[in-house]
Amino acid sequence: MKFIDTHHDAWHTASGEDGPTPHPVPRDGLLLTLEQWHAVRDTWPAGLRTGVSLTNTVDVETLEADLPRLALIALQFPKWTDGRAYSQAHVLRVRLGYRGELRATGDVLVDMLPLLQRTGFDAAALRHDQSVDAAERQLGFFAGHYQRDALERRPLFARPADEATHTAEFLQEGASI
Amino acid sequence: MYRYTDFDRQFVHARAAQYRDQLERNLAGTLTDDEFRPLRLQNGWYIQRHAPMLRVAVPYGAISSAQVRTLAALSREFDRDYVHFTTRQNVQFNWIPLVKSADVMERLAAVDMHGIQTSGACIRNITSDALAGVAADEIVDPRPYAEVLRQWSTLHPEFAFLPRKFKIAITGAAEDRAATAWHDVGLELQRNAAGEVGFRVLVGGGMGRTPIVASEIHAFVPWQQILLYLEAVVRVYNRFGRRDNLYKARIKILVKAEGQKYFDAVNAEFAKILERDVNGASQQIPQAELDRIAACFARPASVQPRADVAVAADAPLAYRRWIERNVHAHQVAGYRAVTLSVKRAGQAPGDATADQMDAAADLADRFSLGELRVTHDQNLLLPWVQSDDLAALYEAAKAAGYATPNIGLVTDMIACPGGDFCALANARSIPVAEELTERLADLDEVFDLGDIDLHISGCINSCGHHHSGHIGILGVDKDGTEWYQVTLGGSDGSNHAPQAVAGKVIGPSFAASEISDAVEAILDTYRAQRSSGEKFIDAVKRLGLEPFKAAANACRTTTARTGETA
Repeated sequence: MKFIDTHHDAWHTASGEDGPTPHPVPRDGLLLTLEQWHAVRDTWPAGLRTGVSLTNTVDVETLEADLPRLALIALQFPKWTDGRAYSQAHVLRVRLGYRGELRATGDVLVDMLPLLQRTGFDAAALRHDQSVDAAERQLGFFAGHYQRDALERRPLFARPADEATHTAEFLQEGASI
Repeated sequence: MYRYTDFDRQFVHARAAQYRDQLERNLAGTLTDDEFRPLRLQNGWYIQRHAPMLRVAVPYGAISSAQVRTLAALSREFDRDYVHFTTRQNVQFNWIPLVKSADVMERLAAVDMHGIQTSGACIRNITSDALAGVAADEIVDPRPYAEVLRQWSTLHPEFAFLPRKFKIAITGAAEDRAATAWHDVGLELQRNAAGEVGFRVLVGGGMGRTPIVASEIHAFVPWQQILLYLEAVVRVYNRFGRRDNLYKARIKILVKAEGQKYFDAVNAEFAKILERDVNGASQQIPQAELDRIAACFARPASVQPRADVAVAADAPLAYRRWIERNVHAHQVAGYRAVTLSVKRAGQAPGDATADQMDAAADLADRFSLGELRVTHDQNLLLPWVQSDDLAALYEAAKAAGYATPNIGLVTDMIACPGGDFCALANARSIPVAEELTERLADLDEVFDLGDIDLHISGCINSCGHHHSGHIGILGVDKDGTEWYQVTLGGSDGSNHAPQAVAGKVIGPSFAASEISDAVEAILDTYRAQRSSGEKFIDAVKRLGLEPFKAAANACRTTTARTGETA
């Protein structure tokens, strides 16, 4: 999991005083809104690293054809207890095969990290008051889970029995992952 | 019973460790109370009127005598020597200080227990038929499937923050003893013409402010695909369920608003999971996995058909009554399932003291191979009782205060903890239950009234299932005073009224001083107007609300004087 320092982020939005620029000028490392992307996608040059930020009501399947052109998708948590973006992330990774960066933005708390990781996020912009240490600690409590997820594509019952046992033994020995 | 694997055991300990980290951050001030709240709720910790309330999961109601003793010990050590059984087959504590909560979780984990997902906007503890695996009318034993569902739903990363709570019930018998139609998802195990096992899937049931009975979304999902189908059901809900209004966030509102459109979206999503998702089909349950889990639920080797011991016709009336009400038919010849009634005078419905819990564990060890069930109607049940042990069990249960012969009768009432404990409640439930229990102390009278489901909720959240009571009582608050609304004709969908339906309100609320009189007047009306052998619920259907309403209205004293109309 990559933690984003928003003051030193390689990605930039394209907005002016009146909000997002309707037709942004092509450049490398732009994080666009979905509306901006729709406005420029047909003329946008290849070879530029491009990102799109999606609200949590967007049907990500409508973006399928664009995914190979996107290096970053930022999904939003307007409130940390609004879990819609977890489903978006899952579908992007497991159904649509999206391989670029998947970033959690908005009201991102350290306690969300296990869920973020398992639904396919690989980057998180924590809320400013959150601690990266605490966030990393949240990723270490469980050695395995029952369901398949974006990282482990097999549910527990489809993994070889010795693999599950090893995990349990590993834990019993007091190891943390 | 299901036997925890090393993986399961490590998992609940890991959860306790994770929770301790959260609790410590909360106590240190780095995790605010508001942000700690959803985290503790997903482990069963509420903050209530007096102290935190802990809800411990009893998956599909199955519990061992050792676990019952641990709960008793925890109630002595951390609480006030009693516990409360809920309609969702869980167990609640009321007085554990929050600072001790992580310790209690570890103690629970040591006996393979936890409070995971007993609250919160997530998939809750799965409930089932208390007679699962022993019911005489069973088509398919639901327990192995319930365990597969427990594992699938436990810490599901995508479905931890749904719009609202999500409850699943599963049953596999001819009679629905799990109130499946009142759940967000109801699963009915069936066999098709070819003998294959699958699920009839109901969706969108629920009580609360807007009682709605679930509708069938799929007539037969093959058992191998049930996790995929549920994934589709919950994902579409997660995406489209309302989040702007807490009272409209349950899936029932989405299903009611969208109807067939929601069903179509789920079925399309199900097809995509199977056809498009990487490894989507790997979520199908393999036969070997079902077999592995089902082996835990194999009938105990010692349980073999045996000679059936009939009850002597000249046995004492009290014993015959207990046999009639508390003893149930069994799959195995010579065996019975026996309900230990947790509804008795002087104690709130569903409450058991620590000593009574120990006594129940002893009864289970002596008569039921150490296994018990928590029932949907807040009683305990022994699933493996030999018919030649019934007389001895009766005496022992009577000595322990568990032999009230009232199962399914009016005094076997369902009640939430109400305003005495619950921070949400508008009115108290327990005093109403107590007064009615006192007034209905005459067993001859109670037997004469026959099958009646009396359900009491202290507020519209409906934990006491008032909507599904043949007689329902709902506590409401007006200007700081407790009032009680009465509904008639509701049903949970079990045999004496197999169509689940919400009861109808019979008029303005009654004052606390009037409610017991009103209920008695309703019962008197039934007695006076029933035809021979007609059950209460059938009489309500035949006669309509009017005669009952008129009788209840005649009891008004306070409300008549003040012209109360709401």
